[in-house]
Amino acid sequence: MHLLRAASRLQDFYILSIRASLGIFRRPFYLRETIEQMDYAGSGSFFIVFLVSLFIGMALSLQISAELSALGLKMYTGRIVGMAIIREIGPVAIALSFAGRVGSGITSEIGSMTLGHQVDIMRVHGINPIKKLVTPRVISALVMLPVLTVIGDAISILGGYYISVFVSHQSSSFYWSQIKEIMDFKNILSGIVKPFIFGYLIACVSCYMGLSTSGGAEGLRKSTTAAVVISTILIIVSDFVLTRILFYFLGMSI
Amino acid sequence: MIEFRNVTIAYNDHVVLNNVSFTADFFEKIAILGGSGGGKTTILRLILGLVRPDEGNIFINGQDITVLSESQLRQPRMKFSIVFQEGALFDSKNVRENVAFCLREYSNYSEEEIERRVRDLLKILGIEEAIDLMPEELSGGMQRRVAIARSLAGCEPKMMLYDEATTGLDPLTAANICALINELSSGEPPQRRGFILVTHKVLDAARVADRYLYLENGTIAFDGDIESLKKTDDPELREFINELYVAKRV
Repeated sequence: MHLLRAASRLQDFYILSIRASLGIFRRPFYLRETIEQMDYAGSGSFFIVFLVSLFIGMALSLQISAELSALGLKMYTGRIVGMAIIREIGPVAIALSFAGRVGSGITSEIGSMTLGHQVDIMRVHGINPIKKLVTPRVISALVMLPVLTVIGDAISILGGYYISVFVSHQSSSFYWSQIKEIMDFKNILSGIVKPFIFGYLIACVSCYMGLSTSGGAEGLRKSTTAAVVISTILIIVSDFVLTRILFYFLGMSI
Repeated sequence: MIEFRNVTIAYNDHVVLNNVSFTADFFEKIAILGGSGGGKTTILRLILGLVRPDEGNIFINGQDITVLSESQLRQPRMKFSIVFQEGALFDSKNVRENVAFCLREYSNYSEEEIERRVRDLLKILGIEEAIDLMPEELSGGMQRRVAIARSLAGCEPKMMLYDEATTGLDPLTAANICALINELSSGEPPQRRGFILVTHKVLDAARVADRYLYLENGTIAFDGDIESLKKTDDPELREFINELYVAKRV
């Protein structure tokens, strides 16, 4: 019985994700809602992304330069920090912050609308809640998470620069030359593709959990927690899968 | 016409409605009575196709709505409008935007026309001065009035569905809402706009309804007018409508 229910929920999730994606290309376009969501998800998340990225960049730089200096290779700190940030840590860390802030916000907002019958009111008056509520949030996550990731990567690299140059006393120009070297198509592509997928997953999971909320305040708590937990797991699992796929398509050997 | 034919629905293995059958015309003034969690609101949700029954069929003007997709349900839903308990107003929108919500979504009216219609509706409902207020600034009675205004703004429903429209209101405000319900359903059948009022407040039901359904253990234990309701032999129902006798003595 539980298995059947889980299968049915999974099917509902797929249907919602597909309808929300198709809604991007179909009228009516809820431009105002989309801009509001982009503002909430983008500029509203900037401060948290700034802090997370800065400290991750600095901590990573500290760890790597300490390890490399034991081998006499600390001048390569910039290369390793940049590579790790752009390809892996930046997209994942910012997606996790995004899921915590934006994903939980989406679930609690849509969940309270579901419990307050506002979603029912939309349906009664012929307004498609997926089009009105889910699609703008999916578009917002698809646009804003990659933008935040690019900004976060830059801040992390600056954090790494501060530690490498002012704490570890490495050459500033060599740090930047290393960063320039790793800014090739393959690395940038791996860093840009991931946030699109993560953003899509976070938005769909959060909206689905919000729309399927039931059981009052306790149900809302459960939905919000589940949205963040499921998004976190999906981000980490899909990161591995995407890395493997990108390695294959970009011809990168292990 | 609404027809429930052997409708059964359960939530998480708890049977809410069990083999329920009844018919109702759009012009009827019906009160559905019953205890909390007895399936009263579920009947309204089933009429609107917001939930689907596990078994049985629901016909609106002869069309089985249990087999319709979400987009196909739009037509039968246009025959109704619903006022939920607490109003279900959009918290982030003021009264004007709440009432204009459906007009903006589905009409080609200019902003001036929408403003005029919203003001007219609020005037009829006696809350024109609240046009710029947010839902949190409204009293319970005003919230219900705004919800009624919104339900009438977008369409011309043949039947209103009220979900606990007077619950949580003081007696005076509840009486005002009942008067408003009567006013909106004035006229003679079959042109009259009818309603289904779901409530556990028997006195409020008696103020507005002509026909009473009583739900007990997921089935309709009573279906009749006020006179037969008062003469019922069902001890549980007699207990439930005790309010009527007390009010009479007072």
